Amino acid sequence: MAEVITSKADPGTNGVLIDVRDLHKVYHLEGEDVRALDGVSLKIHRGEMVAIMGPSGSGKSTLMNVIGCLDVPTSGSYVLNGHEVSRMDDNELARIRNREIGFVFQTFNLLPRADALHNVELPLIYSGMPSGERKKRAAEALASVGLSDRKAHWPNQLSGGQRQRVAIARALVNYPSIILADEPTGNLDSRSGEEIMTAFHRIHEQGNTVILVTHEPDIAAHARRVIRVRDGRIESDEKTGG
Amino acid sequence: MDLWLESAKLALQSLRVNKLRTFLTVLGNLIGVMFVIAILSITQGMTKYVSEKVVDQGSNKFWVQRVGIVRSWDEWVEKNKRKEFTMRELNALRDRGTTFKQVGAARMRNARLKHRNRAVAGINVLGVTDDHPEAEKYPLEAGRHLAAPDVEHRRFVALIGHQVKNELFPGLDPLGRDIRIGPNWFTVIGVAEKQGNVLGEDRDNFVAVPLTAYESQWGTEDNLEFSIQALDATVYEQAQDEATQILRSQRRVPPGKPDDFDLLTAEMFMQIYNNFTSGAYIVMVALAGIALVVGGIVIMNIMLVSVTERTREIGIRKAIGAKRGDILRQFVVEAMILGVMGGLLGVALGVGLSKLVEVLSPLPAVVQPWVIALGLSMATGVGLFFGIWPAMKAAKLDPIAALRHE
Repeated sequence: MAEVITSKADPGTNGVLIDVRDLHKVYHLEGEDVRALDGVSLKIHRGEMVAIMGPSGSGKSTLMNVIGCLDVPTSGSYVLNGHEVSRMDDNELARIRNREIGFVFQTFNLLPRADALHNVELPLIYSGMPSGERKKRAAEALASVGLSDRKAHWPNQLSGGQRQRVAIARALVNYPSIILADEPTGNLDSRSGEEIMTAFHRIHEQGNTVILVTHEPDIAAHARRVIRVRDGRIESDEKTGG
Repeated sequence: MDLWLESAKLALQSLRVNKLRTFLTVLGNLIGVMFVIAILSITQGMTKYVSEKVVDQGSNKFWVQRVGIVRSWDEWVEKNKRKEFTMRELNALRDRGTTFKQVGAARMRNARLKHRNRAVAGINVLGVTDDHPEAEKYPLEAGRHLAAPDVEHRRFVALIGHQVKNELFPGLDPLGRDIRIGPNWFTVIGVAEKQGNVLGEDRDNFVAVPLTAYESQWGTEDNLEFSIQALDATVYEQAQDEATQILRSQRRVPPGKPDDFDLLTAEMFMQIYNNFTSGAYIVMVALAGIALVVGGIVIMNIMLVSVTERTREIGIRKAIGAKRGDILRQFVVEAMILGVMGGLLGVALGVGLSKLVEVLSPLPAVVQPWVIALGLSMATGVGLFFGIWPAMKAAKLDPIAALRHE
């Protein structure tokens, strides 16, 4: 539990971790242009805990995909930790996702046929870390979410809350710049949901940047800053008490 | 390296989950490799066996026959119009040849043999001169070979094959005993060692008697054939030319006309054998090849299913940082492992099949390391070739769509 996980600092950016400028994303669907993002600009600093809110169809998911480097914008610029990622190709994006981003999904997205430890190891496999070091780091990350005794359990042997904690350990294991959580409590009962939110608070207190994508005000209330998205634009961006 | 190992582990893991499917997937490759190994091993064993048997009796020797080797009915009809050989030609070869060490002659027919109340039919009776290779090519188990005086004095003596001994003289020493061939009695003077089969020809089922005695009994109606041994290897070809010239002039073949007899050499037997086997061989290897291609298509099909089933997994891996190459490698390695598994099982069964043939038939199977290497690399190659396309499909998946896949 006492494990301190620190972000990689990049000195040239004055603490600005995410710098999004005039982001557009246009999908061509059945001959019609859908503007999923229509000129989004925002900055997120290192160590912030931010909630991105919005109803479905607001462009929230598209924004998350772009910030998460799963997708590239049609136009605009996106600088993540000093890297201009908006024009990167598939393989460069994969490297950025591996090094800079830790995903936590609503449906956990663990590999069903791998035990907890192997699931946590996965990002390190793709960064090419040797097996011994990798297992040590993965075990540490599992310990930091309180699952030291579940290393050899398969996902179907774990409760929902435990699965999500495995997913959080996986997100943390490569010391990413941002933890990007998409409705992280959406598939959990309220008690497990609270556990998970406590875990995010602790991660944030350890100096990590956490972005929560959600449509639930209760969850957004955990953040110190709430960005509301509607019709592909930022509707409001306000600091809250957290 | 670590990533390859990782891919191999992953692949083995996912194949273990579906054991039956994995087995069915590798079946095509298994059968293909099994037959490639068995065919190559058995034919090589056969070739080795035949070449040893054929070549060991043919050192610098060749044979002259009236009909020789016939490949078609027309050829048989045509060749049977040729004049019979006579002793005049034998004498001409003996008198005029300068490059011959020995010239022998033989006639043969099938006959029934009797000793007391025991009889055997279908025995190959050879009438030979003492210097014909048939008279002395087999090592003896007992007694002696036919010799010049036996031929000269038309002695009714016989050298018998191993099987003849077993059938006519069970538990008896045949030496000095009489056997009846047709109307005459022959005294056994020698017994050949067991020889076995060559290409279905039983080499233990014969009786050799002096040519003179043979002709006094059956006349000269059976085909006469000559066997000539050259002085040494350097004049082997020259000896064949010389024999051809002597026979053409004896048989008055006009210049420009083809020979009215055939020369046969051990090399020709080998060549005929090779022609015969290579045809069969190509057909069988092609069949094995078809099995491999079918096996490859099955692998491709299963890999496509596997990619679809694991779309979400691919999405997760990509989100977490797997590059296209990582996904490609994972699936290619899986396909190659399928290929190799089929290959290994195929090698095991192929070697087993070869050994089985060896046990059940006189043919020795020769399983050479390169044959195993060939089988394995074919199987791996099939896995690689048919695995690439599904793997590319997997590698190209869009991570967002893949993550959404149910």
